[in-house]
Amino acid sequence: MKASNRVSLLLVAVAVVTINVAHPPQLSAENAASSSGTNSTAAQWSVQVDKVDPGDVALAPSFQIAIYESLLDELNKTKRFKQVLRDGDRNAGDVSDLLILKTTVQKYTAGSETRRAVTTVSGATKLTVRSQLRARDGHIIVERTVNGNVRFMGSNLRATHNLAHNVAKAIKQSSLPEPSHSASHAAIDSDQVVVVELR
Amino acid sequence: MNRRIISTRHTPGLFLVCLLLLWCSAAALAQSAGQSAKSTTPVSIRGTHLLGFESAKNNANGTLSIQEDALQFQKDGKPTEQVKIASVQDIFLGEQSKQVGGTAMTLGKAAVPFGGGRAVSLFAHKNYDTLALEYVDSNGGMHGAIFQLDKGQAEILRNELVAKGAHVSESANEPVKQSNAEVSSESK
Repeated sequence: MKASNRVSLLLVAVAVVTINVAHPPQLSAENAASSSGTNSTAAQWSVQVDKVDPGDVALAPSFQIAIYESLLDELNKTKRFKQVLRDGDRNAGDVSDLLILKTTVQKYTAGSETRRAVTTVSGATKLTVRSQLRARDGHIIVERTVNGNVRFMGSNLRATHNLAHNVAKAIKQSSLPEPSHSASHAAIDSDQVVVVELR
Repeated sequence: MNRRIISTRHTPGLFLVCLLLLWCSAAALAQSAGQSAKSTTPVSIRGTHLLGFESAKNNANGTLSIQEDALQFQKDGKPTEQVKIASVQDIFLGEQSKQVGGTAMTLGKAAVPFGGGRAVSLFAHKNYDTLALEYVDSNGGMHGAIFQLDKGQAEILRNELVAKGAHVSESANEPVKQSNAEVSSESK
């Protein structure tokens, strides 16, 4: 009885080891394939970042510049795009799969660093923008409403960095269509666009 | 007797005319000296690079100067980052109030008992000028850079850049105050 138990235990152990040896390579291959698949899909797109449109909001030019520069930095960090081009870059004409990132300021609360330091609860600098990834023909592919705030510590311009980080994060999390599709295939009607608010 | 009376009546007038002439010539001399000093002395201003220049770190202290046809920023002992003045598309001035002392001061204030640090914060702030530049690279790509300068310095640098050929739009002529008022604005 004891011997049969031992044999059965041994068989189970052998089976477990065999399964473990056989399956992980398949799993890791699947993972690698899937991750390379997503990377390759995304890496084929390039993005051109347009200057920030202040809309009707009285936003200081330095904030607009800071958002623009921070967006370029943060989008580069995501490694989601083959190239991140600047507004007006002549090389954009030669890039086949190009998305254009348009940023429009919707809401801005000019805070105060001193007020934050003194009261803690007031003086927050708040920024809300609408970010749109568009195809060359103007069709919207991704649209997000994103916030960037400084509530406690840091200068007012820190809000622009936080905002750009959130925009890049939202774009990274969103699924982009295959770049080989034509712009009209890739495009989604604005009615179908899901607006996600990140706070 | 009559002669003496006449001479005493004319002396103050002459004296005033002489004074006026002296003052005018002194003012003219001072102006010309100022102009010559302005035209020969290269502008060099200590400032903080907040963001924008690729080879300079954010929040790096250094010297902003105009050398021939370029604006350059040099951090002590580090290579210079420079931008051709002709490539500058716009210059914006701004003002901002910042807490002084950095992280050390912030921690120190937090350590003060009974919220005393908050009272310190009331007085531990300083107003700065900000100078924001928009310029283009050789491919036509738009770049932006922001510098923080001592009060009054941004306008001097802006004027010097404009004199050397930098473009400035009409809207950029008024400084924008950023942080003293907590104003919310929303686009409709």
